[in-house]
Amino acid sequence: MNTLYTPELATIKKVIPQTAWETFYELELDARPTLGHKPGQFVMVSVFGVGEAPISITSLPLPDQPTFELCVRKVGNVTGALANLKPGDKVGIRGPFGNGFDLSRFKGRDVLFIAGGIGLIPLRSLILTTLNRPADYGKVFILYGCKTPKELLYKGELKTWECKDNVECQVTVDLGDEDWQGNVGVITTLLPKITFDPRRTQAAIVGPPVMYRFVIKELLARRMPEGNIWMSLERKMKCGVGKCGHCQMNNIYVCQEGPVFNYSEVKALPEAV
Amino acid sequence: MKSYVIPKIELLAWIERLIKENEVVAPIKKENFTSFLPIASSRQIVWGAPQTVIPPKAYLYPQSEELLTYEFSGQGPKVQGKNLTKPRVLFGVHPCDLNAIFLMDKVWAEKNPDENYLQKRQALTLVGVDCLKPCAPQAICLRMDGLNPRDRFDIFLTDLGDNFIAEVATPKGEALLKGIGKETRKDEAKEIRKQRDALFDREELPLKPKYVDLPKLLKENYAHPVFEEHGKKCYGCGSCNMVCPTCYCFDVQDYMHVSLARGERKRVWDGCMLDDFAKVASGENFREDRRERLRHRTYRKLFYLYEKWGQSFCTGCGRCIKACLTNIVSPLEIANQIHERKIT
Repeated sequence: MNTLYTPELATIKKVIPQTAWETFYELELDARPTLGHKPGQFVMVSVFGVGEAPISITSLPLPDQPTFELCVRKVGNVTGALANLKPGDKVGIRGPFGNGFDLSRFKGRDVLFIAGGIGLIPLRSLILTTLNRPADYGKVFILYGCKTPKELLYKGELKTWECKDNVECQVTVDLGDEDWQGNVGVITTLLPKITFDPRRTQAAIVGPPVMYRFVIKELLARRMPEGNIWMSLERKMKCGVGKCGHCQMNNIYVCQEGPVFNYSEVKALPEAV
Repeated sequence: MKSYVIPKIELLAWIERLIKENEVVAPIKKENFTSFLPIASSRQIVWGAPQTVIPPKAYLYPQSEELLTYEFSGQGPKVQGKNLTKPRVLFGVHPCDLNAIFLMDKVWAEKNPDENYLQKRQALTLVGVDCLKPCAPQAICLRMDGLNPRDRFDIFLTDLGDNFIAEVATPKGEALLKGIGKETRKDEAKEIRKQRDALFDREELPLKPKYVDLPKLLKENYAHPVFEEHGKKCYGCGSCNMVCPTCYCFDVQDYMHVSLARGERKRVWDGCMLDDFAKVASGENFREDRRERLRHRTYRKLFYLYEKWGQSFCTGCGRCIKACLTNIVSPLEIANQIHERKIT
């Protein structure tokens, strides 16, 4: 019989290398017309014989969209095996899981995206959602930081986002190279470069654990209300359904009540950031 | 709840009949330990059994359990969900473990019902046996509200010497008993429980804070030095997790057959005291210190899950205290130390 842990099969339709470490995949479920996800949700991806790992969904949710997109850094067993797959190969999918971003809190507001490294992958789903319906949102600011230019994701797309009237993009790297003409410095150095009204802006932040503390501190210093700060947190996950225990932070199961949290919830959880 | 008086001889004959028709798992002697294992004869049962090393939850949530299998063919993998369920009688379960199973029923059924557990649970008949004296010096069951069996069983036996009292809480228990013994209206078992509670109260280590105050006590003492002090001594071996009747965290692992034509996915017990429990592939470990891990385990048992489900998830069986190599893990001991040196 099928249980909580039985994945459904999906076929890889496209494989597009992004950097030396990250690969972009377009997938299609074999037995269901659409994944039906929300921005900020994740799926458990199986490479049979290797294992299963939680992966953020990076695509724009559209009704009846047959495909969905993932972008994966090869860093562990499962993601390492994913990196070897080709179009036509099968993976297992469970989900979508997690709460995702509450769009009702973003609609009608300016939106400030702050992405560190592969944090841009889960944020892209929400970025595309705001760009897809510009009338529903105010101004969109996208701040994106990486260690080096070699790690920049979605380079082509960043350019198209930048061209839009209501969008301002700022990109920085910790360490430039010969060809790099852009900003150099940690992500918080981008905040003074944009003009936003902290009170009417909702911030969505995804990045490595160390980034949150500094970014939140800066936003609070600019008098952004705590309730306007949203973040998606990474944790180890083995089930995605609130049983295996690995994703707990204090009394919270991130896979169930997260991965998206408001800062006002997170600040009461010493194990969060 | 109905109660029956059953002569011991009749009860033993009944167990023999049960063995013929069901798998009966009971505490038996295995080398120097007592262990819940399938029995072939009622003579194997260790009565008034010392605590088993591994709790009986292993028959509902095995140490290693197949979740699914897959086969590779030209069309890619074929996935088959697995669930093996056979009817089983779990016999001789102590009150602490009855309470633990009651709590496990809740967590596995919550939100996303886990059929792997629930189907085994449904096929299980629970026959408890009362403890008339503490099973070990480590027992803290009375303190942790684990000694009262309530109605968390199908049948509950109390040993009177020549006779047993069988309390029956469910139709399943009634059906299993098949009308043996004589119904009694006397509350003899309850009377015995009162007496044995007094004995446990004399023998078990005291819990200094009030049991009902445990969640609040922990909530207010998050940064208490006891976790640092005990954490320093912790080996991070996870023994306390492995023997706990209410630990239910698991790892998931794939095993390929040597032919590479098929494989299986298993879940195996995992433990929050182990170093890599919260460690992600990038190397980030969200609970790196043993101090943090000991606090998390203690908070799960006495605060987070207590608050959520209205009962301590330490049911006082004492297994972790016995298993701990450095004598630091006792939830009662930690609670006492926090109570005596409150930081707020």
